[in-house]
Amino acid sequence: MSTASITVRLFASLREQAGWGELSLAITPDSPSPTPASLWPQLGLGAAIPPQVRVAVNQAFSALDQPLQSGDEVAFLPPISGG
Amino acid sequence: MAHPSAEERPLQLRLHPACFDPLSALADWQRNLTAGGAEAPAAEAHFIGRVRGRTAHGAALEALELEHYPGMTETQIERIATAISHRHGLLAVRVDHRVGRVLPGEAIVLVAVAADRRGPAQRGGQELLEALKHEAPFWKREWCGGVGTWVEGNTAF
Repeated sequence: MSTASITVRLFASLREQAGWGELSLAITPDSPSPTPASLWPQLGLGAAIPPQVRVAVNQAFSALDQPLQSGDEVAFLPPISGG
Repeated sequence: MAHPSAEERPLQLRLHPACFDPLSALADWQRNLTAGGAEAPAAEAHFIGRVRGRTAHGAALEALELEHYPGMTETQIERIATAISHRHGLLAVRVDHRVGRVLPGEAIVLVAVAADRRGPAQRGGQELLEALKHEAPFWKREWCGGVGTWVEGNTAF
């Protein structure tokens, strides 16, 4: 049986701060659904998500309290500077 | 001949890992708009952005590095372009954007929109460019003296 997990991705300054760009976090199916906000303290980037960091779930901008399911991809995005 | 709507003539989007010529890209888009003998749109607005030779702090810039989120960047630009096309009644949209290492003077972005009037073309093009700067996942790093510094935020309008 495959383990329930969520893929976490970091970009740009957050990736370099953490020292990794992608990891798989195992989740417990019976416990309440994790959210981006509840996962953040496990990433080694401080206790709370800084206000300038945005979140994407499955490659769409999302709320910090979006419930996550096994197989989801959650990304933490530092301030955008395109164009 | 009537102009196709934006739904019939979707966004043309190109992310370039190497230097691109914005005028060639524009000519390619215009040929596509008039393919099959279609009448050229009455109004187009174009913006070309190039990398300036100075960092945000005024030092000589070696290069600008552009990181993106493969998959989400393209999807997000599609979402932005579709919403703005509907809001302004645009007939067609073209976006070219560099990724990777970009040198001073090289083109970093091309935004081109077509409409039936100059107002929607200019307003739609401006709104699209600003949305790219704030809502499409790209990150810039300035390289200067062998040191890279992530850029937080955008230059003044």
